[in-house]
Amino acid sequence: MNLPDRFTCEEMFRKVDDYLDRRLSVEEMRLVEAHLETCARCTHEYRFEATVIAQVRDKLHRLDVPADFAARLHARLSKAAGGS
Amino acid sequence: MTTPDAQSRPVRATADAAPAVRTGARVADFEALLQPLLERAYGMAYSLTHSRADAEDLVQEAALLAFRAFEQFEPGTNFKAWYYKILTNCFYASHRKQKRQGEQIDLDGVPGLYLYARTAEVGLHAQTDDPAAALLGRLDAEQIVAALDLLPEEYRVACSLYFVQDFAYEDIAQTLSIPLGTVRSRIHRGRKMLQKSLWKIAEEQGIVRQLSEPPASA
Repeated sequence: MNLPDRFTCEEMFRKVDDYLDRRLSVEEMRLVEAHLETCARCTHEYRFEATVIAQVRDKLHRLDVPADFAARLHARLSKAAGGS
Repeated sequence: MTTPDAQSRPVRATADAAPAVRTGARVADFEALLQPLLERAYGMAYSLTHSRADAEDLVQEAALLAFRAFEQFEPGTNFKAWYYKILTNCFYASHRKQKRQGEQIDLDGVPGLYLYARTAEVGLHAQTDDPAAALLGRLDAEQIVAALDLLPEEYRVACSLYFVQDFAYEDIAQTLSIPLGTVRSRIHRGRKMLQKSLWKIAEEQGIVRQLSEPPASA
């Protein structure tokens, strides 16, 4: 694939999802990062998207697990094993 | 310890005890692999079902199925992917019996950078250097799950694996038995739909109104 020398803001808009997930080639990553170094608007947009993903992930990682959840599961597994 | 009876009887006590020991070891081996996954498994199940009771049932059901099939699991291979494949199959099997009710988010009217544009419209970008954190900081885990619950099922499952399990695209593809390109499409579209549903939740909970009110002067 022939890549341009620089990405435009429109190309950045199309690439940002793949950049966030590290799904771009090494050369495309370099072009994205080169653009971010010089474009305040795209940087602001990229940081916004990255923060949304990070915060959603962080909050979902903090869901409270019910008390004795592991103990109840152990009891069911032990019962199942005893019957096999 | 021998008893008078044991001295005269054939030695069967050891043979009878062996299966119990093997069973206990099998449970222990299985739990050693499952235990590190439990907290995130519950989070995943809750993201899928939006019900704490159903989430616990789903994790337990998947664990029981996995335990019964444990002899088919090849030691040293990816237990996490194997277990989550079972869990998502259990979810699909139980959900097919329930007809989906209520609103679902779609991609109509969802341009790229949806939340970025909405937060800019209400003036949040002028108030703070980190408008994403300002909005997401007002939402708790329950509200995030409520937003996920508005996504169509296939996007909710892919996004739950992506956000809760931190699965790479390849792991999601293996877990769901779908092509890598389909994973990429569901994650990209799912994230856009999630932005729309997060904004909807934030509006309904009065968070958007609070954020757009000018700060009180000192």
